[in-house]
Amino acid sequence: MLVIRPLQENDLDDLYTMAQNAGKGLTTLPADRELLQKKIAHARETFNQRCAPEAGLYLFALEDTEKKKAVGISGIQARVGLDEVFYNYRLSVTVNASRELGVHVRTPTLHLSNDMTDTSEICSLLLSDEYKGGGCGLLLSRCRFMYLDEFRKHFSEKVFAEMRGVSDQHGRSPLWDALGSKFFDMEFSEADMLSGLGNKAFIAELMPKYPIYLPMLPDSARAVVGRVHENTAPALRMLQAEGFNFNGMVDIFDGGPVVEAFVHNVRTVRDSVNRYAMITQNPVDLDVPARERVMVSNRSFRDFRVTTIPASCIGPDTVKMPPAVAEALQVESGDPVRLAPLKDNGPLPINTYRGQDKADDRVREHRSRSSKS
Amino acid sequence: MWLVRPAQPADLEQILEIAGTQGARLSSTLPKQSEALAQKIEHSLASFAGKVPASEAPRFLFVLENTVTGSVDGTAGIDARAGNGQPFYNYRRDALIHASHELGVSRRVEVLYPSHSLTDQTLLCSFSIRPELRNTDAFELLSRARILFIAEHRDWFSSRVVVEIQGVQADDGSVPFWDSLARHFFNMDFETADQYSAVLSKTFIAELMPPNPIYVTLLTEEAQSALGQAHTLTAPNFELLQREGFHAGCYLDIFDAGPVLEARTDSLRTLVTSHRKTLHGRHDEAGDLCLIAAGEASDFRCALTHVEETLDDELKVSVKTWTLLGKTAGDAVRIAPL
Repeated sequence: MLVIRPLQENDLDDLYTMAQNAGKGLTTLPADRELLQKKIAHARETFNQRCAPEAGLYLFALEDTEKKKAVGISGIQARVGLDEVFYNYRLSVTVNASRELGVHVRTPTLHLSNDMTDTSEICSLLLSDEYKGGGCGLLLSRCRFMYLDEFRKHFSEKVFAEMRGVSDQHGRSPLWDALGSKFFDMEFSEADMLSGLGNKAFIAELMPKYPIYLPMLPDSARAVVGRVHENTAPALRMLQAEGFNFNGMVDIFDGGPVVEAFVHNVRTVRDSVNRYAMITQNPVDLDVPARERVMVSNRSFRDFRVTTIPASCIGPDTVKMPPAVAEALQVESGDPVRLAPLKDNGPLPINTYRGQDKADDRVREHRSRSSKS
Repeated sequence: MWLVRPAQPADLEQILEIAGTQGARLSSTLPKQSEALAQKIEHSLASFAGKVPASEAPRFLFVLENTVTGSVDGTAGIDARAGNGQPFYNYRRDALIHASHELGVSRRVEVLYPSHSLTDQTLLCSFSIRPELRNTDAFELLSRARILFIAEHRDWFSSRVVVEIQGVQADDGSVPFWDSLARHFFNMDFETADQYSAVLSKTFIAELMPPNPIYVTLLTEEAQSALGQAHTLTAPNFELLQREGFHAGCYLDIFDAGPVLEARTDSLRTLVTSHRKTLHGRHDEAGDLCLIAAGEASDFRCALTHVEETLDDELKVSVKTWTLLGKTAGDAVRIAPL
């Protein structure tokens, strides 16, 4: 069974292997043991509520329970830009117009900005190759929206994701070559690596502060502003299906887009419903295709767990589950759980029951109160 | 003989002809349309006559006349206040150090800042001369006569004088700096913008330029190497102005990145080395060749002549020159060595 749970200290080896295999482009998870260990420690502090809410780093592991092995990771950073400066370029337009000259020219312009400061970011998604397909990626990504939804007061109203921008197979970024490198004697891959090690703000200090008029850059660089790396296109489509949109911000190094959404508008959030767990001894066929499965979470702050079960298990007030699933979720019969669709285009049996559960808000309130204690 | 005098309405056709030979030059203040030029001459005459108050920016236009043929062979101008009451645009070439203590690196970044700093300083402008006269004494006369005019009317002008020197332009008329920067904001080539500039004003065009600083490193290589470089054709003028005490500072032309030369008015060589003398006659021409200027305001004349100085501040000059200057024995003149 594949279960989402908070990242733990003993995941370090699995995480390191994954980061190594991921190669270039994953700036928030460089293959650096010491740094990864720090990240895990930070995540543990966060789940145990030993750090300020705005300093939180929520990292989740996807565990293959048979192999007792972490095969994927995803994360939420509670707030960006609070202890360092968070930079983006805002892609805007400068218009030059003169009736006398018959001139009306629109010039796309990059303005350095810190607009994302104090906003929650979803980040660090990584999945082992052998688990790709079959909905694991969706589970890793969407479980975060269930978490954001449950514990909204720990996060900002808006949540964003930085998408990886265009670079070639040698790790060269056209935008970096045309812009960043002119101000900083460094290869993109090196700058990218440094930024993963937490030096991004220092590098940003060396970057141009005045607006950059895009027509002054070569075509190759202009073409990649706001574009994602081809490997990231599926992730972008997934976020778009959740209701995320390009917000006009791009990465200062590779020009990759920032997409954002209000948490209450995220599809997973809108389509979630509450049920009570009902453990059944009758056999349940768990092995159904991804499109017929739904996500189910235990709604816990400290030990948040999510797995998938067949949509057919959903009843009007309850959701039935075999003991193995209940154990993985660490719930007992009668415990509240929350459900959300896994696939965009699958049947949404959840929706047919929506609106019946008046206890929804009450339960949520109760849960977030208890998480605080 | 060569004579520099205020431009008159009758000079219009000949000035237009000279202006036509000069090529595209956005920063030139010499109009190529007869209506605009007629206005300029009109304004210049009013300025010479003292009818234009300092607040309304007097502008003076001189012509170089061949007194033998009567033809006009060059023009030179002074704007008492650069910008003529409007902002006078330049780029100031400056540097920033982008440094990170944590990473132990620092880097010098060159930036062009839009600047109005030279607004209201006195501007030498509208210089044009028939090509065959470059590098002759007539060329020097035309350029330096303006300084003698300033010397005679010092309080009409500011404490600093600037000159914009034409920047690099390729043989096909393209301007690398324009193509790398301004073109993106106008969607027109230098030549077209030049035509608009003559009808409207340089300020008008400059105000359509981006208001933010420009990073030099993002310009094309051709544009970068053109920064502060004078057009090869302007070399004689450039050298003459340098001898006069002008030097290139950090200001560049906003369209072609040609250098802007600056000088303190009271340090200009012609102004410092010129002297007032009393005119006396002789029949032959002997002695050193000098610039000689006489006459106030509209009567200002400047010519080249051979002079002999006496010990009691008298100046022996041929009578031919007297008539040229419209002066007679005992009148005051100002001379400067060539």
